[in-house]
Amino acid sequence: MSDTALPAASVSSGNSKSAWLIVPGMIWMLLFLVAPILLILYVSFWTQTTFKIEPTLTLQSWKAFFGSDTYLASLWTTIRIWLLVLAATFIVGYPTALFVGLFVKNKTLSTVLLVICVIPFWTSFLIRVLAWRPMLGKEGAINIILQKFGITSQPIEALLFTELSVVIGMTQIYVVFMVGPIAFMLGRIDPNIIEAARDLGAGFGRIFWKIIFPLSLPGVIVGAIFVSVMVLGEFATAAALSGRKVNLLGNIIVTQVGSLKWAMASVAGVILTIVMGLVIAGFLRIVDLKREL
Amino acid sequence: MTDHQPIFRLEGVTKSYGQVKALRDVTLRVAGNEYISLLGPSGSGKSTLLRVIAGFEAPDSGQVFFEGRDITHVPAHERGIGFVFQNFALFPHLTVFDNVAFGLRNGKAPEPADLDKRVRDIIALVGLSGMEGRGVHQISGGQKQRVALARTLVMAPRLVLLDEPLGALDANLRHRMRNELRAIREKLGVTFLHVTGSETEALAMGDRVVVLDHGRIAQFGKPDEVYGRPASPNVAHFLNRYNIFSGALEGSTFTGPFGAIGVSGGTPSDKPAYAIRYDRMTVEPAGAPVAGPAIPATFVASEYLGSSVIYFFEAADGQVIEVEHHLSLGAPQSYEPKAQYLLRWRPEDAIVFGPGVN
Repeated sequence: MSDTALPAASVSSGNSKSAWLIVPGMIWMLLFLVAPILLILYVSFWTQTTFKIEPTLTLQSWKAFFGSDTYLASLWTTIRIWLLVLAATFIVGYPTALFVGLFVKNKTLSTVLLVICVIPFWTSFLIRVLAWRPMLGKEGAINIILQKFGITSQPIEALLFTELSVVIGMTQIYVVFMVGPIAFMLGRIDPNIIEAARDLGAGFGRIFWKIIFPLSLPGVIVGAIFVSVMVLGEFATAAALSGRKVNLLGNIIVTQVGSLKWAMASVAGVILTIVMGLVIAGFLRIVDLKREL
Repeated sequence: MTDHQPIFRLEGVTKSYGQVKALRDVTLRVAGNEYISLLGPSGSGKSTLLRVIAGFEAPDSGQVFFEGRDITHVPAHERGIGFVFQNFALFPHLTVFDNVAFGLRNGKAPEPADLDKRVRDIIALVGLSGMEGRGVHQISGGQKQRVALARTLVMAPRLVLLDEPLGALDANLRHRMRNELRAIREKLGVTFLHVTGSETEALAMGDRVVVLDHGRIAQFGKPDEVYGRPASPNVAHFLNRYNIFSGALEGSTFTGPFGAIGVSGGTPSDKPAYAIRYDRMTVEPAGAPVAGPAIPATFVASEYLGSSVIYFFEAADGQVIEVEHHLSLGAPQSYEPKAQYLLRWRPEDAIVFGPGVN
């Protein structure tokens, strides 16, 4: 305790000067993050008519959002897709991270493997999304292969322009954000701890569930936050791979802005921001990241 | 030391990592209820030896016996041997209680009340009662050491291997834990095998000391035997208490930097060497009439150790010679830096190593 008190004291004594370091960041964030968010909140209460928007406060747009099946359905779709993608990135990502972070003993090799995971990310977002079309389509690669080997007699149409294709596409794009933090936490586990557990008679299952998984949990939480924030705000993958059948809140915002319905777009934006805030707060309650990282 | 039935025994254990031979034909028998310290410099193979006994590494050849049973191919957790890691390797997300209880909960766990009692008893034994609920990041280094020990001892091993257990502690604590470790071991009557790179720790703690040199056992004996009669020039060197002179041994004459000295008897060794303990040398003014062996040297510096003073001298060939003066034998002398002195010793205090002596 005494050795942590010392640097804390020296920071607080230089407080008046060192506080200036965060001023540029603060100004930037206030101007371009906090102010716009407050503005969105404000605009969501403006009066929208077909051709113009007036700063007369009203609940009209909020009532319209919660009174419309389309909008509510898009909220549920957003949450459903988010949960599906979150589960899929975890199921695909955790074993990968386990291999890269724990079973590959060579640090250089494990770094190389992590970089390989990131390489697809260097291609353009649009190309990555659109590349799924010739893969999943009715006459796409997967259907051709399945039919060639006689596994299916007819092409599976459910592969493209469905919720499934959106989940497949998003999982592929965002799984790396799950793998990275988990592999990082797993890589930090002292091998002696695992050896000690084994010496105390723990089998692989118990070592995993009692030692490895709890110690990797902060990585899972960080990965889940990354994936959640990106999936909840998504619109492009859904637009490109669902054939406009899957409408996320992000897609609603895009269409509303496209037709200059600023008030309705703002309502969707505020709701999306609240959902994200709740999700992040929920994840942070599971693990005390300040302590673990 | 009452029980002389060997609790474990190594027969011709050899282990290599690629080209590096970590252990060469190690044979060792250790009796039950003993504190054994295993001394060796880094790279001597001492950690490898410990890991082979624990079962973390398999020997290339040779056998490991424990309580009369060949355990060479028995997995680590089935050996009934405890291991205390150098960095403690505590489970960072568990409390003190859960760390200690971890082993008992594996496999066939005892009744909850029995488990609770056993864990609390062992926590009391290492002096941590009242800390059961603390997280292991909330306790000090010395307390972590005790948790690590308790976690191993709760499994009731007959042999506990400790890999430089005091290395991560500060000097003050290290000293206190020495006594604690010995006291805990005596209470339980199990054998401790304690690996250390510190000669003072090895001599102070071990009922017997094993000295490992380049993967071979160079000496195995009581601390005073090892200290007073090192078995090889290298052992004398590890003890950090001997001035070792190289030279040539012909018949009963050793020729070193101090000239030719007649010697009688000695310790067999591959290479000839002449060793004198720091505290068996006496400083005389240059040119003083001395009967017996002596070497001229230049005074460099001194180091005050509380109960004694170490004087550093440099011989003509550049070798540093240390002379220890116990303050119980008189007040410390002050010598002139860069001035010449004559260091003498009694021939019977020297240890002569060489091929063919006995």
